[in-house]
Formats: sequence, C-alpha cells, structure tokens
Amino acid sequence: MSSENQISFTDIPDAIASASGTDRSVSMTVDSELYPLQAVYGASYIFIDRCYVFIDRPAPGSYRITLSAKQSVEEAEALRQLVGEFANELLSCTWRHQVTQDNRVAIETVTVQAIAGAMGEPSLDDLADFDFTDEALDDPLGIAQSWEEKHGRPSPDAKAKTASEPGADEAKADAEEASA
Amino acid sequence: MTELRFARDVYAGEAVDEAVKTWSRFADFALTETEAHWVVQVTPKHEAAARQIIGEFGNFVLGLTVDRGGVS
Repeated sequence: MSSENQISFTDIPDAIASASGTDRSVSMTVDSELYPLQAVYGASYIFIDRCYVFIDRPAPGSYRITLSAKQSVEEAEALRQLVGEFANELLSCTWRHQVTQDNRVAIETVTVQAIAGAMGEPSLDDLADFDFTDEALDDPLGIAQSWEEKHGRPSPDAKAKTASEPGADEAKADAEEASA
Repeated sequence: MTELRFARDVYAGEAVDEAVKTWSRFADFALTETEAHWVVQVTPKHEAAARQIIGEFGNFVLGLTVDRGGVS
C-alpha cells in the first residue's frame, strides 16, 4: 500500500486520512480506544464489495484502514467520498457495538427466559432425576451449618441412635464401676 | 511478487491459511511470520489480474476473520 502521489483533503486532517492517486487508494488512521476492533471489522465488511480493504496496526492504540477502489477512480473527490462514507459507517458500527455491550445482560436474560419458557414446565420425572447435590451456596461464615456441625457436638439423632443400641447401658455401667 | 503483512491482532492465522488454500489456484503463496504479522508473499499466476487477485485475497482473509468473530 505504498503511495507516492499523495493527495490531501482540505477538510480532513492529514493525520487521519491520506489518499494516493497512483493506486487509487485511501488510508485512514483511527484511534483504537474510540473505535473498537469489532466496529472496524463491521465497517470494513460493508466495503469489501466496493473496495479492497486492508487493516493494519501502525502503532499500539491505532488502526490504519486502507481502502483501494475496485473500479477506476479518476478524481480525488471520489476518494474523499469513500473516506467520508467509511468514517460514517465506522461511527455507526461503534455506536451499535456500544449499545450491544450496554444491553448484553438484558438481552441474555430475555433470551434465556424465552428459551426456558419454550421448554415448558419440568415434569415430575425431570424433578425426580434432578441432581440437587450440586452446592450452589457459598457460605464462608458457616451460617447454613447446624449448631452441632459448627461446634463438633453429636446431633440429637446420633445421640438417640447410640442410646438405643443394645449393650449401651452395660457399657455405661462398666465405665462407671471402673471410674469408682 | 507482492508481500502482504497481516497484523496478528487483527487477522486470524487460520483465516490466512484457509484463504491461501482457496486462492492457490490463482497465485503462488509463501508463508512466513514475524512477532506481529502473518507475512504472505503472493505471486499471481495471471499478471494482468494481479491487482484483483491480491486485493480479493486480502478481502477473503478479512471476511474469514470476521466470520470467525475476530482474533481469538
């Protein structure tokens, strides 16, 4: 994309756009903080039926887009029009990208609800097969634990079970005798 | 022969490879790479259509990259 015969546009700063009359191409340098790569892709994609489009990174923080007209371009005005149309398209793509980013959570929520609604309510078999063991609860303070679990005490159920076991009373009596 | 340098953080490497396979009917390709670029040396088989072949090849790489959702 070398350009020997440079054309400058009076109403566009040289630092942003420059055109070459020899290979009927025009280059634009844009700030990557203002224009994200997805927007540059989008705008470039729209122009590939009219131009040969090359995207480069001349420096970190900027993109250089070179548009080379497929059809013969005789006048500098036609190249200027190309730059202007591309700049507008780039701005439009950037704004749509921003709107999509801002509404991403809402879009995903609505989509998930729509899909879940289309699936219908779960049947009793689905509920019976559902695995409830997956721990979704994060409990760093142990609030969901029982008092016995928290302090290492046997649970009331375990106490009752031990008392009901055969031989438990004899063992208790032997222990009392030994201690006496 | 024309050398095209595709920036690695703009163009997907797989897109370059796939485009080279598709366009090998129309040009000879030699692939190398640097830290920042996929470097493709293109020698069109039809000199009269060289500009068109090189330009459409570049568009093809860009199109495949966009179809893939950009660089991963």
